[in-house]
Amino acid sequence: MQLLGIDVGGTFTDFVWLVDGSIRVHKVPTTPDDQSKAMRQGMAELGVAAEVPVVHGTTTATNALLERRGARTALLTTAGFEDVLAIGRQDRPHLYRLSQTRPPALVPAAWRFGVRERVAADGTVLTPLDEAQVADLAGRLAADGVQSIAVVLLFSFRHPAHEQRVAALLQERLPEVSCSLSSDILPEYREYERTATTVINAYVQPLVARYLQRLQRVLGDRPIRVMQSNGGAIGLEQAARQAARLVLSGPAGGVVGAFERARQALGGEAPRVLTLDMGGTSTDVALCPGSIPQTAEGRIAGLPLRLPSTDIHTVGAGGGSMARVDAGGVLRVGPESAGADPGPVCYGRGGTVPTVTDANLVLGRLDAGRFLGGSGTMRLDEGAARAALARLGERLHLSAEEAALGVLRVAHATMERALRRVSVKQGHDPRDYTLVPFGGAGPLHACDVAAALGIRRILVPPTPGVLSALGLLLADLVFDASHAVLRPMAALMEHPAPLAQTAERLGEQVRAVLRRDGALDPALSAALDLRYAGQSYELTVPLALPISADHLRAAAAAFHDAHARCYGHADPSAPVEAVTLRVQGRAPGARPPVTPEPPAATDAAVAHLGRKDVWFDADGPTPTDGYDRARLRHGHRLAGPAIVFQYDTTVVILPGWQARVDAWGNLILTAPDG
Amino acid sequence: MPASTFSDPITLELYRHRFAGVAEEMGLTLQRTAYSPNIKERLDFSCAVFDAAGRLIAQAAHIPVHLGAMPASVAAALRHVTDWAPGDLVVLNDPYEGGTHLPDITMISPVFEAGGDAPVFFVASRAHHADVGGMTPGSLPLSTELFQEGIVIPPVRLARAGTLDADLLRFLLANVRTPEERRGDLAAQQAAHAVGERRLAALMAVHGADEVRAYAGHLCAYSERRMRATIADWPDGSYACEDGLELDEAEATIRVVAHIEGETIRFDFAGTSPAVPASLNAVLSITESACYYVVRCLASDDIPVNAGCFAPVVVTAPAGCLVHARRPAAVAGGNVETSQRIVDVVLGALAQALPERVPAASQGTMNNLTIGGAWPDGTPFAYYETIAGGMGAGPEADGLSGVHVHMTNTRNTPVEALEQSYPFRITRYHLRPGSGGAGRHRGGDGVVREYELLVPATVTMLSERRRQAPRGLAGGADGARGRNVLLRADGIEEVLPGTFSRRLQAGDRLRIETPGGGGWGTPLSPQRPSQ
Repeated sequence: MQLLGIDVGGTFTDFVWLVDGSIRVHKVPTTPDDQSKAMRQGMAELGVAAEVPVVHGTTTATNALLERRGARTALLTTAGFEDVLAIGRQDRPHLYRLSQTRPPALVPAAWRFGVRERVAADGTVLTPLDEAQVADLAGRLAADGVQSIAVVLLFSFRHPAHEQRVAALLQERLPEVSCSLSSDILPEYREYERTATTVINAYVQPLVARYLQRLQRVLGDRPIRVMQSNGGAIGLEQAARQAARLVLSGPAGGVVGAFERARQALGGEAPRVLTLDMGGTSTDVALCPGSIPQTAEGRIAGLPLRLPSTDIHTVGAGGGSMARVDAGGVLRVGPESAGADPGPVCYGRGGTVPTVTDANLVLGRLDAGRFLGGSGTMRLDEGAARAALARLGERLHLSAEEAALGVLRVAHATMERALRRVSVKQGHDPRDYTLVPFGGAGPLHACDVAAALGIRRILVPPTPGVLSALGLLLADLVFDASHAVLRPMAALMEHPAPLAQTAERLGEQVRAVLRRDGALDPALSAALDLRYAGQSYELTVPLALPISADHLRAAAAAFHDAHARCYGHADPSAPVEAVTLRVQGRAPGARPPVTPEPPAATDAAVAHLGRKDVWFDADGPTPTDGYDRARLRHGHRLAGPAIVFQYDTTVVILPGWQARVDAWGNLILTAPDG
Repeated sequence: MPASTFSDPITLELYRHRFAGVAEEMGLTLQRTAYSPNIKERLDFSCAVFDAAGRLIAQAAHIPVHLGAMPASVAAALRHVTDWAPGDLVVLNDPYEGGTHLPDITMISPVFEAGGDAPVFFVASRAHHADVGGMTPGSLPLSTELFQEGIVIPPVRLARAGTLDADLLRFLLANVRTPEERRGDLAAQQAAHAVGERRLAALMAVHGADEVRAYAGHLCAYSERRMRATIADWPDGSYACEDGLELDEAEATIRVVAHIEGETIRFDFAGTSPAVPASLNAVLSITESACYYVVRCLASDDIPVNAGCFAPVVVTAPAGCLVHARRPAAVAGGNVETSQRIVDVVLGALAQALPERVPAASQGTMNNLTIGGAWPDGTPFAYYETIAGGMGAGPEADGLSGVHVHMTNTRNTPVEALEQSYPFRITRYHLRPGSGGAGRHRGGDGVVREYELLVPATVTMLSERRRQAPRGLAGGADGARGRNVLLRADGIEEVLPGTFSRRLQAGDRLRIETPGGGGWGTPLSPQRPSQ
């Protein structure tokens, strides 16, 4: 079986090709105007056959939102509620700014229309839909050249008929205009979040659909799957229909890749993993307590996106983060980034402000001649980096190296704080976790960050620089559907039949979507969002299928347990309310080669490249062994200080740390005893 | 400061992260383990780290009104407790002993170095509890003296050396309407303290108490240095402004003179009206919070908030006046309404010094609405919310529409959540077009929110800017005044005052139109339509 993962990033498009039980890796520069160009180029260079299926991670939907390049979108709401999108949750973005602006609205006021109709909280119709008004509106929308329409009526999750009728009336008159209904996209309560999510879909859907059609033409008649925000892949046709599900997919592939790698390498129990994905401008961290964390609290471009997404926290510290001395004389690093252009000073593209990458270079942690495998695609100017850090050092009365050490310490403090944050937020202790660093810069900093957090084990995957693309290959085929319930659990237990029917219906929807993508027998699972009556926040617990009174009782018990675990308290005697029913279908993705490599007869000396001076503290440089990752084999052991160079990243092993290569090519780092 | 622990500019940045991290992790824990939506969803709480002398070192504040009030709480605890032991926990809400208004309950606990005999740090948390007893559910009544507003807790030890005083807790819970929720929220505050104490103890174990203590000082000195440099750039002089609250019973003028003198700024509220026979009195720490908020907004937002940050800011007000109330003046509304007017006058004064920085007045109220009654089966219900309005326009941009301004930033309740839980319906909720003041930059628009009662209920409203409009600035027009309108089931329309409590019937509708923000600058061209 062959499979090709293609991950489009801001600078590079990464390829990971699973062929004949092994993995081949490739990179080409991204073509931002049309991402499919770089894809075609990379595939040609690799020589991938025409029928090999592709799993694709794309930022087309994300960029359309961030750059406000989506469709001309109108919003139809219940009359009197036209501004729900503009008011939001009535909080202002910045607490302490006298002047603040919001990003331009996805739908300007002139294209927000109220429709006369009203449904009550129990789903009864208080005011019937004014169909004539909707017909009139169609003319107005056509005249204004509207390309996409979001329809969000109050309580439509209880009574979707009004939204469906509005869509039918519009489609009769505007057959070429795309229509997104909130009762399809997110049939859950909370009108602002539902509106924002539906509007996001309407706004990006036409553009994403066009892009995916073009992609199919470019890549020919082969199966294509697309990564979703939830960390699962889905077929191209479905992806084009609900494009909002792709919007937060960017960092998801890496978490999937890191988690699956750790699961394979650590064996047995579901691993507890902290991921550290450090790129040029930012670092994404995620806490995986035995599973990939999901959230419905995603945000993008100033709006909430309530669809399931991988729970990731981002901080503004990356290789390109710029160092400066602030007005009070203190060294600051980031969040401003030199990005890819001009990039760090050592790129020689005109950057003058020293960055984290420059600091690594000056300290000997990067090797100018060996960067990107020494392929010569990018030369690093160490002299320029040193001069920039010397200038920074002068303001702090420090040498260039001392300043560079300071830059790293500050960057590490930012990452440490982010990892503590995701851990504390979910009530976990980072010391119980394995750190999996990836991205071009993660393995450079993992040891320092782990040491600060008391983390004792680090797993550096074989290809950390393209782990996101690998995650695409490993991702399951996943589709989920949800439905607002809003009923006491006691009542549901008494009459489980209606809920069971709803679950059947959702299951059929999910199965139908996955069947089209070739998964004939996906595993279906269900979950319920539950809360104590009167609470305004929910916890999601598994619900065994088929739905029965017993299974509901078990879900309620699981809820009390989860409440105690997450929040420190629970009340098994309090009434519980079911808010949302979720059904998910899942078919397994590819698994990486499972044959472990036999232990090598050699030792790490075969990979030894030589010694160089590396700064670990201000006392001076330490002669440090350098190794070539490509020649390290199962069973090889290294002792810190050491640096492992490879095509897509550099691994720093601090003094006192030990490293070994496992049967799957991972580098396992262990903290010094004590 | 010990001379050995010299302030290194890199280590200082690490400690900025460390102390801020402690406050942040306390906040995350409190939010995660809290019972009530007010803490969990609307984030009405703050957590902070203090040094042994009670100086603020770091604060994770979601609510600006807590800025000046937290240090007052610690100061009060330090006045009353001198024999601190590990595991002690002091609790208070007395507005005249470190509190602001009664629903805000503050906890303070000491942090010791391993084997140490005196506290090196204190951690504190403050959370808005949904009910602390008093005349009406929610404990924000239209009161005339403190004792009507709920249970008053002076600084007392809720735990001694790790042992909870069960009798005291029982006594407190016997005085509130929702004891189990209170017990849960208090436990959540305790959980946050455990996290803060543990993290600070770990920092001292790794780096030594001397270094951690020294850098707490360095961090304050750093903030103070930057704040002094900021104020030094402001033009020296004395700038006065006054504005008032809308009371029939008494005059309620707030007057301030801002004296910028080199690196310091002094806000003097002499000339402010005496305390009023209503709930709108503010204790001095609220007034300090409002002044600190404005200074913080005008300074660079990367200056860490700590004692040094506000060392060059002095706030004085005559004891017994509206903005420096004395026991037993009622204070429930001072926190929510008067604090907004204090911001208005302070900004009004500073607009004369910094015309290129200061915006026109914002809505200047929180539009506090309480609806209480009983379902047809007799089950009582009580609902409280605050409503957004227009933000004042400034020299750089239009004001935002439909947002909470200045001293609060709590979120709304979704219509689809509210209508499932209460016997009333929202019949409209939209921006109020044209309510923002005209100008080169337009003030933000207020909102219109209309409630239709499905059962008879008592509606209590505490709102301002119904008679006096939010002022425009630099030639910009005033924002529209707010309006509270009753549309009776029998078809009669009646305009209600800003503050009222009234029994309404099923089918009656109450329409709240919140104020717009003031405009900034003389319009250059024909008016653009509002957003």
